[in-house]
Amino acid sequence: MITCGMNSRTSKGVIAAVLLLWSLFLSPFFLHAEEQGEYIAIRKQGGGKIALVLDRAAAKGGKESEWAQEFDKTVKEGLGFSNLFSILPPPSNVRAGSDGKAGGVNFGALSSVGAEVYAGGAVSKKGGKVNIDMEVYDTFGTKLLLKKSYSGKEEHLRSLGHAFCADLIELLTGKKSFFGSKIVFISSKTGSKEVYRCDFDGHGVEQVTNFRSISLTPVLSPDGRYLAYTSYTSGRPTLYIRNLQDNKISSVAKNGVSVDPSWRNATELATTLSFEGDQEIYLVRPDGGIVRRLTNSKGIDVSPTFSADGRQMAFVSARNGLPQIFIQDMQSGLTRRLTYSGRYNTQPSWSPAGDKIAYSTWEKTGEINIFVINADGSGLKRLTSGVRENESPSWSPDGSMIVFTSNRQGGKKLYVMSSNGENQRRLLQVDGDQMQPSWSLFR
Amino acid sequence: MRTVKPLLRSMFIPGMLFLGACCCQEDVVVAPEVLPPPVELGDIFFDYDKSELRAEATQQLQKNFDWMKQNATGTLVVEGHCDERGTNEYNMALGERRANAAKDYMVNIGADPARMQAVSFGEERPFALGHDEASWAQNRRAHFVGQGAAAPAPAPAAEAK
Repeated sequence: MITCGMNSRTSKGVIAAVLLLWSLFLSPFFLHAEEQGEYIAIRKQGGGKIALVLDRAAAKGGKESEWAQEFDKTVKEGLGFSNLFSILPPPSNVRAGSDGKAGGVNFGALSSVGAEVYAGGAVSKKGGKVNIDMEVYDTFGTKLLLKKSYSGKEEHLRSLGHAFCADLIELLTGKKSFFGSKIVFISSKTGSKEVYRCDFDGHGVEQVTNFRSISLTPVLSPDGRYLAYTSYTSGRPTLYIRNLQDNKISSVAKNGVSVDPSWRNATELATTLSFEGDQEIYLVRPDGGIVRRLTNSKGIDVSPTFSADGRQMAFVSARNGLPQIFIQDMQSGLTRRLTYSGRYNTQPSWSPAGDKIAYSTWEKTGEINIFVINADGSGLKRLTSGVRENESPSWSPDGSMIVFTSNRQGGKKLYVMSSNGENQRRLLQVDGDQMQPSWSLFR
Repeated sequence: MRTVKPLLRSMFIPGMLFLGACCCQEDVVVAPEVLPPPVELGDIFFDYDKSELRAEATQQLQKNFDWMKQNATGTLVVEGHCDERGTNEYNMALGERRANAAKDYMVNIGADPARMQAVSFGEERPFALGHDEASWAQNRRAHFVGQGAAAPAPAPAAEAK
């Protein structure tokens, strides 16, 4: 009995520490930004990659040079991860103006290497903090597109780099990006399935739960305030909703299963409950109270996912026998079948950036593959093939990428790809199986 | 003799710890009840993606009911399991349907639903670890764990009838 008490206290301490660290991470550090310049989306619709020359920020040596190097590395990796750019090495005479005056940007040299955009700047130390002045030019129009200062503590250098990446992508594409977003997932690294989280690019992996039970299907609320997940700590699969600010945990106090939650907005989530006999989808509040029942059909209804405006819900239903994906209008309750191709379609994920739904199909070959389809049933496209089981798709907040699980190299691991299926690669290197990733919506 | 001395010395700390633990014993309040070990009652199996009972399953369910009659205050956990194929979330729901199908049958033949709990494990706890039909067939199952009533602590031998 005594050991048992100690264990739970220790694990509570660990969880508290993890969450404290997390909240520190989320709290906005002092990011002082001066913006001057135009907001222009110069990227043509459907255009190829943006040819960018990224020049290492100038520094006077010492600490500043170290910062410049790290900033450059972060920005390069971040922009590389987005898959939007082809990053060109800066020509040697890039900082010599055509008039021979040092400090200016040599647009002639940039054009000759085929650069469309040039980004460069200078690193300095201001009041003990890192200060990075960045400039972005359109090399053909020789026009200044962005001039902005990024300053913060040294330990936030990575975030400064990502802030610049976010600004650059928003400037060039007119859309918000995923920098600063998080991915929550399940890992069996410790031997039992626990909730973990990491940055959008797989950096900073942290264990969130330490229940030594089975935890499943974690998902963050759109504002990042709550984490919902299913866990067996009570002996049966129960939905828990943890407030990440005060650490309070609510659960849905109903008999039967409660599995696979999904947030409709910051104040409502949907999950499957079976306390009335059949597995049906219900709308639930973060305090665990039930708002209303959404589905009413014989057979399994599971895995809800919502359109960005929260007006429509896609979900899996076995009402016709085998599992297929359906869409329900939240106001009228009218429901239509979305998928007709394939006998086993599950795990829908609605893109936050449009009317596209990704899902997985268990195919006749035994493979599980990820498909994407428009909400009106058109435009069906297979994104994975020939590489075993690919499951659990989840969109990045800007809809440009998808994170998913694949066992193409043996165990189940997390992968990312562009929304059109290109550029599939491992997200992170962690022992054990990784599964059920969910990309946060908050930035 | 030379080896005995270090041996004794090495046993000093564990010995003291053992004595300490013995002294602690007095402070510990002895649990008032002793639960008999849980009884595994045997499995029933299901067809692929199905939660309907097979004809042969009824025999095992009758045995479970007999156990509940013999253990008048005992409880029965009905676990629903799936094979590894398909996706986890859907299998969580399917596992529950399997557990409920078994439970509902037993309730129909007279078992007390208040003493039974259906729990789905989806594909989380496979029995056989292979990746072929032989393993999958063993994993599409309902598993029954009986828990006899607690006996009074001072006389665990006394049987509650």
